[in-house]
Amino acid sequence: MTAKSSRPLRILLAKLGLDTHTVGITVVAHALREAGMEVIFAGLKQTPEMVVSAAIQEDVDVIGISSLSAGHTRSLPRLARLLREQGGADKLLIVGGVIPEEDQPLLEAAGVARIFTMGTDTREIARYLNDWWLARLARAEPATRTEPSAPPRQ
Amino acid sequence: MTDIGCALLAGQVAAGARAIRWLDDQDPRGREVLREIFPHTGRAHLVGITGPPGAGKSTLVDALIGEQRARGRRVGVIAVDPSSPFTGGAILGDRVRMQRHALDEGVFVRSMGTRGQAGGLSRSTYDACLVLDAMGYDVVLVETVGVGQDEIDIVSLAHTTVIVMVPGLGDEVQAIKAGLLEVGDVFLLNKADRDGVEQVGRELELMLHLRGQDGEAAAWRPPLLRMVATRGEGTGAAVDALEAHAAHLRASGQYQRQAGLRSYHQFTATLREAATRRLLERALRHSATAALVADVHDLKVDPYSAAEALLAQTEL
Repeated sequence: MTAKSSRPLRILLAKLGLDTHTVGITVVAHALREAGMEVIFAGLKQTPEMVVSAAIQEDVDVIGISSLSAGHTRSLPRLARLLREQGGADKLLIVGGVIPEEDQPLLEAAGVARIFTMGTDTREIARYLNDWWLARLARAEPATRTEPSAPPRQ
Repeated sequence: MTDIGCALLAGQVAAGARAIRWLDDQDPRGREVLREIFPHTGRAHLVGITGPPGAGKSTLVDALIGEQRARGRRVGVIAVDPSSPFTGGAILGDRVRMQRHALDEGVFVRSMGTRGQAGGLSRSTYDACLVLDAMGYDVVLVETVGVGQDEIDIVSLAHTTVIVMVPGLGDEVQAIKAGLLEVGDVFLLNKADRDGVEQVGRELELMLHLRGQDGEAAAWRPPLLRMVATRGEGTGAAVDALEAHAAHLRASGQYQRQAGLRSYHQFTATLREAATRRLLERALRHSATAALVADVHDLKVDPYSAAEALLAQTEL
């Protein structure tokens, strides 16, 4: 999403539990901002309940969890379930970080849409989200009025 | 009435959040909901929190939420951060400082990007205030982006404008003071445990004293209160001051007048935007006026003459 949009994608980024490795989430936050998205930074030491509550108040389209220490096999399925229970089933849940291969089927079954493992290029994350967003906008009824545009240069 | 409008008036968080999203995205469904809920607005006390970057606004808002909750009030918060003028993207990080209220059902925090609007607010901040008001929040705290000298749109939006100052900002604070001093209703000197607080406090008191001498402004003397927001010190007195100002506005009839002014302000802004868009669309459809617009780009005519010429041709 390099062109400015009147409907930017909104994504909540958070870390769960006592995982305090912040470099990854910070780098991703800046990359997504550069890609034209509104990044709501919820911070560290979040519980699944806090993340779901924030996602609903902020009406984000996507929840991105950064996980660099264990715990995700418990906390992410719980988060996905709370999200469904509280009316947030339309929100996309993605995760990035250190996710062992053997954990991935469990997370996907629980409702995690996409897992970005260590070493993923941030542009790949932006591209994935952008494609998902454009597809969703195309599916939605074309309700938005076009923005007043500057007169074209002759 | 729409489902979202109904649910919002019943205080449902997801409905209010969705309505704000529509309004922020300029989705026409947002305007429809706004029309429905407008008669149910006008109750909430709108408080603007502004001041230079690094003054501790988010932490201070967190402290104010805590105190308001202790007094049994439901609190809405709108925290505005700048959007990139190039990509439109934004990092909205004010929630981080308000985490302890994350699971309190009496608190609703919404982050907004400025989305190209100058002045310290986003275009839809006013709309979001109306939504939170209609949802039944007693107080709506609007935290602006860190402002310099004249980014003070918050003044026309809020009942009560709070200016946050801190010691140790150096010379730049002088310029800020000149611009913000005239518009603040309550002054909070945050980080009052730091060096230099006495000097800044004395300067502010002097300037406020001078301001208090001119005519009508004398009716409300803006208080200057010291706070250490990270420790919650001074929070009770700050909320007392907000309530005293609201009471003052109500007693003098300004509370209602301000709401009317706010609405009129939004009315003219909406007209200005729509009229400009329609005028330009029409101008670009006709070759003579399209040539005039092109001349502006090519610097063949000064912008004022071009605007006058276009208005004359469209008989405005």
